[in-house]
Amino acid sequence: MKKIIVENLKYRYPLSEDLALKGISFEVEEGEFIGIVGRNLAGKSTLCQALVGLVPHFYKGAYSGKVEVSGMSVLNSNISELSRKIGIVFQNPFTQITGAKLTVYEEVTFGLENMGIERKEMVKRIEYVLHLLDLEKYKDRNPFELSGGQMQRLAIASIIAMKPGIIVLDEPTSQLDPQGAEEVFKAVQSLSREGITIIMVEHKVEKIAQYTDRVMLMSDGGIVDLSTPQKIFSKDDLLDYGVQAPVFTRLCKSLNIKNKDTGLYPATLGEAYELMVKYEQNRS
Amino acid sequence: MTKTLSLYVERNTFIHRIDPINKVLYACVVVAITFILPYELVGALLILVSILVLLAGKVFRKVIPLIEFSFIIMLSIVIIQGLFHPGNRIPVFHIARITFYKEGLLYAFNLSMRVVNILLAFAILVLTTKPSELIEALVKKGLSPRFGYVLSSALQIIPEMISTVDSIMDAQRSRGLETEGNIAVRIRAFFPLIGPVVMSSLIETRERAMALEVRAFNSKEKKTFLSERLAIRSDMVIRVSLFVMLVLSIILKVLL
Repeated sequence: MKKIIVENLKYRYPLSEDLALKGISFEVEEGEFIGIVGRNLAGKSTLCQALVGLVPHFYKGAYSGKVEVSGMSVLNSNISELSRKIGIVFQNPFTQITGAKLTVYEEVTFGLENMGIERKEMVKRIEYVLHLLDLEKYKDRNPFELSGGQMQRLAIASIIAMKPGIIVLDEPTSQLDPQGAEEVFKAVQSLSREGITIIMVEHKVEKIAQYTDRVMLMSDGGIVDLSTPQKIFSKDDLLDYGVQAPVFTRLCKSLNIKNKDTGLYPATLGEAYELMVKYEQNRS
Repeated sequence: MTKTLSLYVERNTFIHRIDPINKVLYACVVVAITFILPYELVGALLILVSILVLLAGKVFRKVIPLIEFSFIIMLSIVIIQGLFHPGNRIPVFHIARITFYKEGLLYAFNLSMRVVNILLAFAILVLTTKPSELIEALVKKGLSPRFGYVLSSALQIIPEMISTVDSIMDAQRSRGLETEGNIAVRIRAFFPLIGPVVMSSLIETRERAMALEVRAFNSKEKKTFLSERLAIRSDMVIRVSLFVMLVLSIILKVLL
């Protein structure tokens, strides 16, 4: 089933002359994990916000084309309705804490209370997400006293509790230390295992290659390519788009080790290791 | 819970479990009665009741600094009324050449008692009620959830903003900005600080607004609540007795 359908989406921010998104089209299947890469100002964040309805409902501005999320037209629904189908996690963990709740446990309820979820169901969902994101230990802490990684996981938990089915992560680890980032990646992986459709913008290409089913390469408000990580990172002109391939791909490229079946360079450590072992065996 | 703007003291007492609305009502009724029946005896009685409630809530010691603070106000009332009350006739004592009068002092005493009464009644509310619980109770009674959010988030976000200001100040100081010294230095230091502070809080507010939006902040559904306050029977008893007290004092006022 198609979870997201985007057709020729064009968008211009108010007070700006240029289009931020210049006619984007793609489709995402249920349960897929899509990574988005591209240089700054390529339109990655704008695209993310267009999926959840912040573009155009929060920013206004000029909009054309069609975005459909779980069968709902983004243009014709408001953000609250959309939040039942698709959630988003932003860069800064700190500003995603509502500030209205005193404990981690209560913080998760914020969206649920607004949605009018029954109390029993609420408790069930909270326990589920706190377990899923490994936050049970901190449930009585003040959200502002958590570390960055924990706070970001709380932000993810608060969104997942609303059962959106699709979650968009806009550079969720860019303001975190390595340990916090690792925690978040692990959490995202467990979401993927739960069958949640994930769209993630991320600069750490090794992680993108490791986790995602397909990678979207964006440049200048458009999609350059949307394909498997191997195919995207084997592109010769990748650097022109401001993206560096994962270190394993670069290494294999310089040694000219390709996967014979596909003719592509490997993108993850596992693949690279396998190909290298084969390569060594062939030589000796 | 170190960084919230609240005087709430966490204790496990009966007083803490009383419906926040009742504590608001209590404060209102006490204030109303001190005005309806402006007699020393009534005032003293109400003070006694409030003190007993505070003792039962194990927060009496926290009230003392509040009373000390209001002492300045009471002192000024005593001086001004003792010297200049229009009904002053009978001199009581002299300090140097200044004469204090009986009528003024009595009036000042009455006023001060009112101040203490109001202070204690609200202290019960503030010291024994979690702000979030109070706000939630008000939202359940029909306060707009948006306004409720503004109230409850202010308690946490303002202290966070203060810490942002501190880190911006440290950052500017590390680049050689003088922030300490005489008034002129401090005023000059104000401008390089206010820019980043305002900018960062604007950006933060926008980001938080988006984060709230995607958590169905503007949802048209009827809001539900995680916490379920089981109305204890005593809540009703308290509410009724407060009402009775108010009515009685009005009747007394009419009769006297």
